[in-house]
Amino acid sequence: MRLFIFIIFVPVLIGAFTGGSEKEHLVIKADHIVTISQGEISPGMILIKDGKIAEIGKAIPSLPGNTRVIDVTHKDSWVTPGLIEAHTTLGARSRYGSSNSDETSNPNTAQLFIIDGINPFDKGITYTRMAGITTAMISPGRQNVIGGQPAVLKLVGKTIKDMTLLSPAGVKFSLGEGPKNTYGKKDRLPSTRMGSAFVIRKALIDAEEYARKQGAFLKKQAKDNKAMPPKRDLQKEPLARLLNRELTAFIECYRVDDIMTALRIVDEFALKAVLIGCTEGYRVAEDIASREIPVVCSPFGVGPRRMETQNIRVDNSAILAKAGVKVIIKSDEVLGMGSLRELPMHAALAVKGGLDKKTALRAITLSAAEILGVADRIGSLEVGKDADLVIFNGDPLHYLTRADYVVIDGHIVYQRNPQ
Amino acid sequence: MKKTGFVILTFILGSLLYAQENLLVIKNARILTVTKGVIGKGHILIQNGKIIDVGRDIKIPNSAQVLDAEGTLITPGLIDSHSHLGLGPSGGVTEDNEVSNPVTPHLRIIDSIHPEGVPPHRHSFQHALSEGVTTIIARPGSGNVIGGQSAALKLLGQTVDDMILAFPCDMKMAMGRKGYGAKGMMPVTKMGVAYLVRQAMLDAEDYKLAWQKYELEKTKTPEKQPPKRDLKNEAMMKVLNRELPVHIHAGQVDDIMTAVRLGDEFNFFKLSIGHGNESYKIAGELAKRGVVVVVGPQMIVFDDEGNLINLADYLVKHGVEVNIMTDADVVQQEFLRFQAALAVKYGMDPQEALKAITINPAKLIGMDNRIGSIEKGKDADLVIFDGDPFDIQTRVLKVFINGKVAFQAEGEKEKVK
Repeated sequence: MRLFIFIIFVPVLIGAFTGGSEKEHLVIKADHIVTISQGEISPGMILIKDGKIAEIGKAIPSLPGNTRVIDVTHKDSWVTPGLIEAHTTLGARSRYGSSNSDETSNPNTAQLFIIDGINPFDKGITYTRMAGITTAMISPGRQNVIGGQPAVLKLVGKTIKDMTLLSPAGVKFSLGEGPKNTYGKKDRLPSTRMGSAFVIRKALIDAEEYARKQGAFLKKQAKDNKAMPPKRDLQKEPLARLLNRELTAFIECYRVDDIMTALRIVDEFALKAVLIGCTEGYRVAEDIASREIPVVCSPFGVGPRRMETQNIRVDNSAILAKAGVKVIIKSDEVLGMGSLRELPMHAALAVKGGLDKKTALRAITLSAAEILGVADRIGSLEVGKDADLVIFNGDPLHYLTRADYVVIDGHIVYQRNPQ
Repeated sequence: MKKTGFVILTFILGSLLYAQENLLVIKNARILTVTKGVIGKGHILIQNGKIIDVGRDIKIPNSAQVLDAEGTLITPGLIDSHSHLGLGPSGGVTEDNEVSNPVTPHLRIIDSIHPEGVPPHRHSFQHALSEGVTTIIARPGSGNVIGGQSAALKLLGQTVDDMILAFPCDMKMAMGRKGYGAKGMMPVTKMGVAYLVRQAMLDAEDYKLAWQKYELEKTKTPEKQPPKRDLKNEAMMKVLNRELPVHIHAGQVDDIMTAVRLGDEFNFFKLSIGHGNESYKIAGELAKRGVVVVVGPQMIVFDDEGNLINLADYLVKHGVEVNIMTDADVVQQEFLRFQAALAVKYGMDPQEALKAITINPAKLIGMDNRIGSIEKGKDADLVIFDGDPFDIQTRVLKVFINGKVAFQAEGEKEKVK
C-alpha cells in the first residue's frame, strides 16, 4: 500500500515541480518533411513530446490531448532538422560583442575551453538562430596553432550550461597564415609553416609521455588504491585524450601544403581528425578520402580572399564528395551572403558546383552532427532524437526561402509571423 | 534544351569573330531593360559598341550577325556602386588608404589600381566579369577623412586608362573613423572629423577667391603672377563648385547626420552615403534631401528590439534612392548579384533590387546616358543569364562590354576559378 501511494505520489509531485502546463505536445503538419536519414515524407506529420520527436510519418492516427497543432500544409512548407554550423567563433568573437576566441599569448593553448569565452547573450546567437541554425560547434579561432577545446552548443539558453551539448568536442588546430602572421609579427615561433608543424609535433610528443604516465598510474591504481597520480597538466591532458582517440582533432588548413602537413601529422600520431576550411582540397581529394577524414568546407570563400584561399573553387566540395570524402559545409562569418545566417546559401553554392542536393542538405545537418559526435541527439528527424527543426517556406536551398518557425528541444524559439 | 541552345550560341559566336559586318543582333531573349520594362522574346541590335535598337518588332538588317539567345534572360551590365577591386588585400597594407594625412583630396584612385588585381586578388577582374559585373565605382578607402577622387571603371582593357568611364566621378570622405588618434593627430574625435572637412572647404573657398582675384587683375596688369597651384585645394574646389558629387562613408546614425549637416552647409552635389547601417533610423531626413544610400556589404541589420531590417528595401519604401554594393573584397566582387538577391530574399521588389545594381549607380555618377539600362543609344554592356539573375543556380553565359564579348562560360562546366 505504501509503495502504491509512493508510485502515484512521486510522479504527481515531479509534475507539479516541472510545471504541468508545459506538458503541451506539439504536432507539425507540413508538405515536405526532409528527415535526412530516412527520406522525404510528403506530406507528413511530426509529433513532439517532452522535447523529443515521438512520432513521424504520413499520418499520426491518435493524437494525445493537450496538443498544439501547427498546420502549414498547402504552403510549400518544408521541415528539416535544425541546421548545424560545424565550425564558428559565434558568441566568442562576433560583430556584436566580444573577442575571446584567440588567446594569442602562446601558440599552444590546448588547455583552454571555448565555453569560458562565450557570451550567451551575444546578439549574433539570436540572429543566427532566427535563420534556422539551431546548433553550432563554437571553436577557438585560427591564430593559435593549438587553440583550445571547442564545444557543441545549442543556440538557445541563458547560460553556457543550458546550451552545451558536448564539451570538449575536440581540440582545435590551425596551420598556415593564421599562426604564421600572428607570431611572425612578434618574431616568435611559429613565424613559418615549418614552425607551426613543429609546435604540434612537440606538443603531441610531450603529451605521449604524459599519456604513458597516466596509463601506468591507472594500472598501478587497479592494484594499489594508494598509488599517487602524476601531477596534472592541463595543457597535456586534452592532447593525451586526443592521442587515445577519445577526442577529435579539428585542423583548420586551406592551402594544399597545409592540408598535406595536417595529413602527415594525423598519420604520425594516428589521430581521429576533421579538416576545416580545406580550400584546395580538390587537389588532394584522394589523399583525404583514403584516410577517411571528413572535411568541413565552404564551397566559396565569401569574405576577403587571403593568400591561402585565393585558389578557391566552387566545385571543391563536389570533387571531395565524389572522391568519397564526407563533406560538411560551413559559412564564412562575414557580411552579406557570407553571414552565418545564410548557411543554406553556402550549401546552394556547393550544389552549383556539382554537389548533389541531398548531400548538400546532409552537409549542414546530419553529416555535421556525425563529425561533431552528437548524431545520437541531432542532425536528422527520427523518433527519439531532440525535437530541433525548422519549418521553411520553400525548398531550403532556394535563395528566396526563409525560416518561418524554428524549434529547439520542442520549444518554438522563433516564429516569423506570430499570429 | 538550354544545353544545346548554348552550344549553338557558342558556335555562332565563334563564327562571329570572323565576320566583316559589325552589326550584331541578339534575338529571342527575355530582356530586362530596367528603365522600359520587360520585353518577352525581344531583340537587341548592336553596332559599334552601342545599342542601336531594342524591342520585339524591330527592323533587323539582313547583314546583321545573329546570336539566338532563346531561353535566356538579358540584363544591363551590372554596376558595383562601391568596390576596392585591384587595390590589394583588405586586411594588410592596401593601396586605397594613404594614412599619412587625414585630408588627401588630391589623391586619385586610378594611380593605385592594378588592372588585373594583385595576389590574392590576381583574377579579381575576371571573376567579376564571370558573374556579370561590367562597371565598378572604385573609391579610396575610409581611413582618411577626405580620401581622394574616385573613378568609374569598365572592366575591359589592358590598362586602367582604357577602363576609365568617368574620372573623377566623386570625392570620397569618411565620417566616424578616428584612426589618427593613436598617432596623436587630429581627428581623435568625431568633432575633429567634421572640422577637417569644414576647414578643407573653407581653404578651397579662399583658393577660389585668390584665383578669381588673379583673373580679374590679370586684365589690368598682365605681368601679375598667378597664385601657386595647390592640388588639394584644386580638388576641393570641384566639390565647392558642385562639379563633383560627394560620397561619404558613414554607418552610425550620428555620423550619417554629420554628413548630412556638412552637405547642407556646403551644398554638396549629389551626396551619397556609403554603408548607412543605421540609415533606416533617419530615412525621412535622407529622403527629403534626396541623399542616396549605397547599401552593403551588410544587407541585413537588426534594430534595437532585435527586429530584422532589410536595409535596402526599407530605404526604398521610405523614399530613399538606393544602390547596392559589395565593398569588394569585403564581399567578393563576383557576388554583387547575390548581395541584391539577399535584399530580394528578405522582401525587396526584384525590380528595385536590379535598379540598385544598374541604373541607380549609373545615375549617381552621372553616367545614365551611357550605362545602366538596355536602351537605344546606350553602351552595349549586357549580361546573358540562363535564368533568374538573383538565383544562385543561375549561370552567366555571356557578358558584353561596349558590344565586345568580355566573358563567356565554357560549356556547361563551371569555369575554374
